[in-house]
Amino acid sequence: MKFLLYAGLILLLVPLHTTVLPYVSLWGIKPDVGLVTSAVIGLMAGEVDGLIMGLAIGWVLNMYSAGDLWLSLVTKGGAGLSAGLLGRHVAQVTPMVLSVGVLALSLAGGLVAVFTMKSGTVSDAWWMVQSIVLPQSCFDAVAGAGLFWLVNQRMVIDRLRALDRF
Amino acid sequence: MWMATLRVPYNARRFAWGGFALLLLALFLFPSQSQGLLQYLEGPIGQVVRIPLEAIASLDQGVSGLWQSYVALQGVQEENERLRQDMEWLRGQNNQLREAASATERLASLLQFKEQALPTLVAAQVIGRDATSWYRSVILNKGESDGIKPDMGVITPAGVVGRVVKTNSATSIVLLVTDPNNAIAGLIQRTRDEGIVEGTHQGLARLKYIPLLSSVREGDRVVTSGLVGGFPRGLALGTISRIDKEEGALFQSAELTPEVDVSRLEEVLVIQAPYGASAQSEGKSESVAKPKP
Repeated sequence: MKFLLYAGLILLLVPLHTTVLPYVSLWGIKPDVGLVTSAVIGLMAGEVDGLIMGLAIGWVLNMYSAGDLWLSLVTKGGAGLSAGLLGRHVAQVTPMVLSVGVLALSLAGGLVAVFTMKSGTVSDAWWMVQSIVLPQSCFDAVAGAGLFWLVNQRMVIDRLRALDRF
Repeated sequence: MWMATLRVPYNARRFAWGGFALLLLALFLFPSQSQGLLQYLEGPIGQVVRIPLEAIASLDQGVSGLWQSYVALQGVQEENERLRQDMEWLRGQNNQLREAASATERLASLLQFKEQALPTLVAAQVIGRDATSWYRSVILNKGESDGIKPDMGVITPAGVVGRVVKTNSATSIVLLVTDPNNAIAGLIQRTRDEGIVEGTHQGLARLKYIPLLSSVREGDRVVTSGLVGGFPRGLALGTISRIDKEEGALFQSAELTPEVDVSRLEEVLVIQAPYGASAQSEGKSESVAKPKP
């Protein structure tokens, strides 16, 4: 049952990222819902689920992006794994805590991307940090808080917990 | 308030770390093998993902079509769209004629003139944008099963759109001409000086490596040189809007306004064979002279 839920989630993420999110992009930046989802799953279901789902999301989304596969796997998989591990040290997860966590993970992933990308000069790299990494992180943090609020509704949480039994 | 999960045992944590480290190691030590394995799996996964992707893309196009056709300026919008398509087609034709005239002038003195064959084209629909914010690319609804391969050029009747960089069985990714990672061999139509056209961070394009002695000026048109890549000679890339000449530099460069508005792409043409060579004889593809409105 959980497998079906995760598979459905991945199937939904692709059209969401490629068709729907461009409409809500600001200055060409759209939230990385794949990374946010990996982090939320890592936090809710543990680091193993977070890692596996992060890798799966990273791989499938990379099929619809011009980017490198390894970068997508590292950022999404790393986000799921880190969220699962960091979640163990947090007693109560609130939207604010999740926002800060997602902000940090997105910032880290963005910086890895900048340093591994072909950017001509230091000013190009700095431009990328200012124009893509920082707004992207803020956007992801807001999206994370929103997604957590959605998942945190009592019904949804109970259902997700019940799924673990199957 | 909700508490973080503490259910996963210590062994699982070690497994997660170990698995992640192993994957990274495999990706860095055996990049082609590990990516080859994943690419092998991409075929069936791509076919499954294609279903919701195309469903939502068609819904998106239906909604935007409904909006454009009925809500926003009913008849005028439709007429405007048709006229714009015609204008793009005529602009492309005009550009080809200019190029042909210029080539004819230079080649008129030659006795052995070899006629250039028309490129083999495949029409495709844009069904999405890049899944990340890092690249300017679009997703096409045709892939390897339709004969599309990486490095093929993509155009509209108005000019160059970009280059195919990735394919799977059902879809392909086109890196747009405005992406800084793209590089296309270009030629200034008036002066015949060659250079490389790259995208800029601002969403425009830049012609680099123009000789210092070139008499390039603002308003000059840049076309594909046909020397490298999947483009035949003479397809419009853009118009020079600014020239940058730095003191002590070996070359000058120029900012281009791309001929194609890449933010409003709906249908494109993929160049399977720039000079109509192989694909036509194999009969695997359909030749398209002009896209249907």
